[in-house]
Amino acid sequence: MNINFTLNKKSVTIDVDPMKRLLDILREDFRLLGTKESCGEGECGACTVLLDGKPVTSCLVNAVHIDGKEVMTSEGIAKEPIGKLLIDCFDETNAVQCGFCFPGFLVTSYHYVKTDGEKNLNKIKKALSGNICRCTGYQKIFESVMLACERKPLMNANER
Amino acid sequence: MKSIRKIDAIPKLNGSWKFLDDYSYEGMIHGQLLYSTCHHGFIRKVTFPEGYDLSEFTMVYAEDILGENIVPEPVCDQPYMADKEVFHFGQVIMGIAHPNRKLLREFISNTSIEYKELPAITDIKECLENEDNVFGRKLTIDHRTGKKPDPNWVHHHKIYYTPHQEQAYLEPQGMIAIWQPKDKIMFVRANCQCPFFVKEGVEAIMGNKIKEAVIETSEGIGGAFGGKEDFPSLLAGITSLLSYKSGKPVKIVLDRSDDIQITTKRHPARIEINSWTDPETKKIMKINIDYRLDTGAYQTLSPVVLARGVLHAISGYSIPSAFIRGRLFRSNTPSNGAFRGFGAPQGFAAMEAHIDKIAVDLKMNPYEFRKINIFKIGDEFPTTQPIIENNLSDCLERVIEKSDYLNKLKEFKEWNKSHKDKKGIGISIGYHGGGYTGNGEKILNSEVKVVIEKDAIVKIYVSNTDMGQGAHTTLAQMFFEAIDHPLEKCRVQLPNTSKTPNSGPTVASRTIYIIGNLLRKFALKIKDEFGFENLENFVTSNQNKFPHEFRMKFVQDPSVVFDDENYVGVAYKDYSWAACVTEIYFHADTYQIELTKSCSVMDIGKVVNQKIATGQAEGGILQGLAYGLCEFFYKPGYGRMHGFTDYALPTTMDIPEIDVEFIHTDSLIAKGLGEIPMDFPAPSIRNAFYNATGVFIDEYPLVPERILRNLNVNKHC
Repeated sequence: MNINFTLNKKSVTIDVDPMKRLLDILREDFRLLGTKESCGEGECGACTVLLDGKPVTSCLVNAVHIDGKEVMTSEGIAKEPIGKLLIDCFDETNAVQCGFCFPGFLVTSYHYVKTDGEKNLNKIKKALSGNICRCTGYQKIFESVMLACERKPLMNANER
Repeated sequence: MKSIRKIDAIPKLNGSWKFLDDYSYEGMIHGQLLYSTCHHGFIRKVTFPEGYDLSEFTMVYAEDILGENIVPEPVCDQPYMADKEVFHFGQVIMGIAHPNRKLLREFISNTSIEYKELPAITDIKECLENEDNVFGRKLTIDHRTGKKPDPNWVHHHKIYYTPHQEQAYLEPQGMIAIWQPKDKIMFVRANCQCPFFVKEGVEAIMGNKIKEAVIETSEGIGGAFGGKEDFPSLLAGITSLLSYKSGKPVKIVLDRSDDIQITTKRHPARIEINSWTDPETKKIMKINIDYRLDTGAYQTLSPVVLARGVLHAISGYSIPSAFIRGRLFRSNTPSNGAFRGFGAPQGFAAMEAHIDKIAVDLKMNPYEFRKINIFKIGDEFPTTQPIIENNLSDCLERVIEKSDYLNKLKEFKEWNKSHKDKKGIGISIGYHGGGYTGNGEKILNSEVKVVIEKDAIVKIYVSNTDMGQGAHTTLAQMFFEAIDHPLEKCRVQLPNTSKTPNSGPTVASRTIYIIGNLLRKFALKIKDEFGFENLENFVTSNQNKFPHEFRMKFVQDPSVVFDDENYVGVAYKDYSWAACVTEIYFHADTYQIELTKSCSVMDIGKVVNQKIATGQAEGGILQGLAYGLCEFFYKPGYGRMHGFTDYALPTTMDIPEIDVEFIHTDSLIAKGLGEIPMDFPAPSIRNAFYNATGVFIDEYPLVPERILRNLNVNKHC
């Protein structure tokens, strides 16, 4: 069936099996390889994308669910001002280890910093609880998101 | 100590860094493994589902193997694919490939195999309790004085159990093989820790049909923790066979459920300790440790895990008379293998709990008791290796001080009197010998290569991979810091077995300790030979000398002399040391342990990159804590776990505040860091729970169900 949706701010149309997973659509049909498959059952968050602005695990979303909606992947977020801010904070703290989970963390952190942004460790922990990282012990991820929250008010108003 | 930024962080964040599944090649088809669902039996018949055109599939069986059907390992006893008989669940029977990945998955999940079932051992305790299951290598460290225990000495006898642990690297195992018939080369793009192991694995299965296997890693290796040490050899072998037979590039990426069910895990252990303590001096005078590992169906690298296990089993205590016996036990489960810590965490799990048990029985606080018995200069390991530093004791003293242990011990005791919930605080210590055990590094004979280009770019060639630990940033840093060369002019190349010399596998906390220190020496040697102050200026004014290739080999310190037969001598030249204090809050209504704070002090020698080292330590500590708290892979009556839904990994909501401090950082040597954070933290949780409730639990993990069971047993007593 034909599905129309917005992908990283561009309108796209695709003829696809309605049950095809969004994760596979992104990786196979659009070659957007930043979205990773790790557990394939919605537990780890490595394949997180924004669907109409909210974080979802794209391994559990089918083509039929995205018709007429907006999808934003880590590649799209990396170009946004808050995405850039977060990337710089993750880089500065040396938070990234193997990096396989990080595009997912970037998406979820972006959602938190964009929609809430309070420099509050407990809130950040809760916001990131759907993303699993096996390398870092999470400490440097928290530190990075806290740093991004601290720096967000310094950005231009239209970029926040 | 400079915290330079990682060279690969930005591309990993914006999604452009390529992991195995991000590579594709023209004409590439997809492969999967068909494996046994029977624990032990004869394969009677394989039935494929109807409605598929079988000519579209490429299939390989054991009989298609062109070389030998044995995976190269420290002990070569595991076949790539089962022939007639399967010895464990998850044993590979076939490799199957097809152009359509989805269709291939459907085809495999609808394929059925009939077996004639035979008796099997699948339960951990059934395996480890029965001495009939002993097989393979046995090790003994005999440091007995021959004296009988004094009748006044206090005897403690306990048996401790530790479970499997899954590495749970976020990127599942994967391989791409590309047969190049013109040159008779099998090129393999590998998601692995040890490219040269994979090379051996491919060459063994292909026999003389190929001239050479060339292995290059993917840019990104999404975590490994030991799990990508030996299984990749098997996977690469079968992927190569599929590529040879189909004539096409073949990619196999395991589904998470396949990966978790059939790849290697940390060995479950049963550790029995008999100890005798002098109640006057509070010194442990004699100890016997029986250290058993559930190996799975084949030995593979378990004897090496056993070696490290027995060498760390006594923990950090000087005991005049010690006898340690290590044995492997066979079961009908997939072979267990390498996992960060490599046999050491099991030993610390037992011994660090045992120490608290003795301390409490002697009415001492666990710190005071440790202080009396801990390694000091002049003591020796049971192998007779002398203790030449008090750094373990320094770690303990520092962590006691900074965690405010003694005050909290009193404070919690008081608080617990009037509360149903309980607070507890526990100590644990640990250490890890850097590099291969005993003569291993001598045998490995690691070599590194450096090319200095005409524009003063320094290219470093090593076979050690960066699977997230930041090795390539840190290795480059060690080289350029030694000669004060700009970071942007120094790069570690992607490991490729035809371009990089064999600097050994990325295991055993050896990358920075062996290869990094070698590179530092190498940089100074090059500087000395050319006699330059500034490399860039020297290259500019001596263009005719460049590009120039240099090679250097690792030379083991002559003090490392180890008797591999009798386990006597210097097993490791340098040890990293650590001590930890963890605080818990026990919820009496839900039987849950909440970790509130974990404080660790470590001596890893010189810290090359503070932020990278701290990140490594924090990650390892969380894996260690989770080993004691929540992770288990097998449950009687349920079987093995299937994915991240039933295998409980810690999330952001499950973790305590983690505090890490490095001491003795003025050392010239950067010691091993990879594994030690995994070794020592878990016992501190059990000891904190013992402190909080007075209930001693002899088994990991401390999940609510186990706590409930133990509390009930204690009530009835």
